[in-house]
Amino acid sequence: MTNETVDAADRLKIGPRENVNYPIVMKYCGHCSMPIEYCEYYPEYDKCKDWLERHLPDDFERLKIEEEQAAADGTEDDKKRQKRGGKGLLRVKKKEDVPKKICVSRAARGKKKSVTVVTGLSTFEIDLKVAAKFFGTKFACGSSVTGDDEIVIQGDVKDELFDVIPEKWPEIDEDVIEDLGDQKR
Amino acid sequence: MFKKFEEKDSISSIQQLKSSVQKGIRAKLLDAYPKLETHIDLILPKKDSYRIAKCHDHIELLLNGTGEQVFFRHRDGPWMPTLRLLHKFPYFVTMEQVDKGAIRFVLSGANVMCPGLTSPGACMTAADKGTVVAIMAEGKEHALAIGLLTLSTEEIQKVNKGIGIETYHFLNDGLWKSKPVK
Repeated sequence: MTNETVDAADRLKIGPRENVNYPIVMKYCGHCSMPIEYCEYYPEYDKCKDWLERHLPDDFERLKIEEEQAAADGTEDDKKRQKRGGKGLLRVKKKEDVPKKICVSRAARGKKKSVTVVTGLSTFEIDLKVAAKFFGTKFACGSSVTGDDEIVIQGDVKDELFDVIPEKWPEIDEDVIEDLGDQKR
Repeated sequence: MFKKFEEKDSISSIQQLKSSVQKGIRAKLLDAYPKLETHIDLILPKKDSYRIAKCHDHIELLLNGTGEQVFFRHRDGPWMPTLRLLHKFPYFVTMEQVDKGAIRFVLSGANVMCPGLTSPGACMTAADKGTVVAIMAEGKEHALAIGLLTLSTEEIQKVNKGIGIETYHFLNDGLWKSKPVK
């Protein structure tokens, strides 16, 4: 026991450690976003495990071995620690499943000019501001974020968008981009 | 504090900082965290311009050049590092270790109670009341929350009841989830 406390005190000491290069590169779980060691406290631990198995097989193996060890000599350990009442359980907010779809349409602007309206980019977790800037430079025209999930590009560039978007963001397939045709503003 | 924090609604304005103010903040940070001196240029490069995001409830976030949140503070309180920063540079804040049983409560945003700091699995480093502390956990390597001591460690040991550390920022809260601000 004394040995353990000494270790802990040593670990908690302030100041940079030797032989460690800062900044430390962290590995975060892709499912719960926490450091891997805290996954077990997440209500959807199983899904974290799935993610780990797919993305970081090495850490997954280590976790498995540790778990087995804990199961082997864990019964005694449980009694020694003090237990606390209360729920203290995290609740997971349900993610709203919005269908991932991008809509492009053309809107008339004056008699002979038009603008292109792109919606749905944020369902792919793309930063709209960056996207608008990108469209602006790509097509050499004005482009702005006009709403919650809407970008307006000046000029009719609808047809080009079908090539440009999948090229810039490989995670977007051309098939999920829908053409809404002409629309009134 | 950040339990109900949401990037979109909670940030009311973002300001570019004057260089004199920047210098002031830097000096303050070094004053509060002397051990930071060796690596502060990695966190807040000298030439960079930082921004401050003003949020609801008088919270301010310090953003570095790339828009990452690095420090935050409440009203005129001390600047505290965000957990993402603390994971990269874990050594500059006083650390307190809680036992295993407390982890799940801290992760849901509870303040740390004294018994969680005095039981066999826990370990405290001596500090005064009002110190910014990183909350570590028994058997874990990384910090899981950041808080302020509401009692000195001596008092915690003596009283052993009630709140010992007020939790400000913990894993998976609103600040943890928010993305870099462009």
